[in-house]
Amino acid sequence: MAFARLRDVSVEFPIYSGGSRSLKKLLLHTTTKGNIGRDARDRISVQALSDINLDIEHGERLALIGANGAGKSTLLKVLAGIYEPTGGRIYASGRVSALLTASVGLNYEATGRENIITRGMYMDIHPREMRDHVDEISDFTDLGYYIDMPVRTYSSGMVIRLCFAVATAFEPEVLLMDEWLGAGDAAFLVKARRRMEQFVTGSSIIVLASHTLSLLREWCTRAILLQQGRIVAVGTVDEVASRYEAQYGALDTSQPEIAAA
Amino acid sequence: MVSIAGPETEDAAVVEFAPLPSKTALAWRDLVEGFRRNWMWSALALQDIKLRYRGSVLGPFWLTITTLVTVFSMGFIYSHLFHTATISYMPYLGMGLIVWQLISSSITEGCNTFLASLELIQQVPVPFSIHAYRVVCRNFIVFGHNLVLVPVGVIVFQLPVDWHLLEAAAGCVVLAVNGLWVAIFLGIISTRFRDIAPIVASFLQVAFFLTPVFWPIDALGIYQPLAEYNPLFTAIDVIRAPVLGVPIMPHSWSVLLLSTAIGCAATCYLFVRYRNRIAYWI
Repeated sequence: MAFARLRDVSVEFPIYSGGSRSLKKLLLHTTTKGNIGRDARDRISVQALSDINLDIEHGERLALIGANGAGKSTLLKVLAGIYEPTGGRIYASGRVSALLTASVGLNYEATGRENIITRGMYMDIHPREMRDHVDEISDFTDLGYYIDMPVRTYSSGMVIRLCFAVATAFEPEVLLMDEWLGAGDAAFLVKARRRMEQFVTGSSIIVLASHTLSLLREWCTRAILLQQGRIVAVGTVDEVASRYEAQYGALDTSQPEIAAA
Repeated sequence: MVSIAGPETEDAAVVEFAPLPSKTALAWRDLVEGFRRNWMWSALALQDIKLRYRGSVLGPFWLTITTLVTVFSMGFIYSHLFHTATISYMPYLGMGLIVWQLISSSITEGCNTFLASLELIQQVPVPFSIHAYRVVCRNFIVFGHNLVLVPVGVIVFQLPVDWHLLEAAAGCVVLAVNGLWVAIFLGIISTRFRDIAPIVASFLQVAFFLTPVFWPIDALGIYQPLAEYNPLFTAIDVIRAPVLGVPIMPHSWSVLLLSTAIGCAATCYLFVRYRNRIAYWI
């Protein structure tokens, strides 16, 4: 059974290239929402997450809401096991599939089919086993004959479909997604949602970070609001989203509505 | 009384935490788990080679040809410079260059173990050691292409073929172990300090001339021990001497194994201590 429990989790990045005084002053006065400070040895550091306490239990679909630099991506990377937190403890179980950047590890000269095999390797799936699933995955992508073309000929929406299909092909117990999903077209989003509903009933966890509040309202059951690396609100997506909108204005209106469910 | 504690504070008390594994255990798990995924790093290494030589007809065999041309041209000139017989100097130079290429690429590419996989490290959670195994595997694939020249040399220069070649094979295994610690050690420190790679590159250039790769070790006369204890020379010697059918220098194995042990120990310390920082430094 998948779960993730975080206690007082903090993540602090050292910045080694920004050591000069003038740059330090510059950084401290920019409008970025992150916390920039100095650590004990007088190095500049960015406090990306501080004192995060969060329980995500099986079957939950969690939305991460927050402005740029609030710590959404960092939190996803902590959950994925990419960053071991600099403070606090994390206790998690479940096979993780992370879709953080669409293009990661894609070889643009290789065909879609070859890239499916490579991405499978990153997920610890042997190419032999992956080969049995290639057809099933390419069916889901609706890429047609493009699947045998180099990925550099793909549109960005096609790249997303490919990556999503691979990441969800093996019913991950924990699926982490950052922002980019919204770039898919309406038909794809409907299809993607249907697939995710399938494995959520199999008690999986989905954590989705996005600025597209309408998407989050539709897909998620719970939300947290991050601000300067801290959780400032927890609740239903509607509650948290309206608080976020009240704070930053209705930024969401420019986003296109996705197809009605 | 109405409780004022929210549901979250109650949750926090209920959760049982498993004991945290030690840093040493995590580092060890990383190495073992990384090795277990040998199909992954070997496929990635192969892919690196394919990408590097994409569109070229001969692929990595271009390196073999470069070695061949170097051995013939240098072999002719330098055997006269050193007043030795061309027929015995050429195989000496050839084996020296082949092993040196393995050593030097292990060291230069070792600086980029993690930096070259930057995108992967930041997006996909895989054991860090996989990147090091990948570098070692890649270098040995190139080394294998160069080794094609050995049977040619054996026939042309009538080198002996006997059980001593097993000693050379053992030498290759030891070099692979060294390649691994170098890839992790240099990989970590050059991720943190970006000056390391250029420093190492210039060090290697000097080392090539200071190590008996292309010049005979006895030419040093009374200073010969200086070269005998050079770890880079011992690494060449344990592979070259058996192939040429001459005895390995008396200290070569001990110096090589000692430097391997020291290197492994230092790398273990560094890897245990800073493994979880690699993702942050990148």
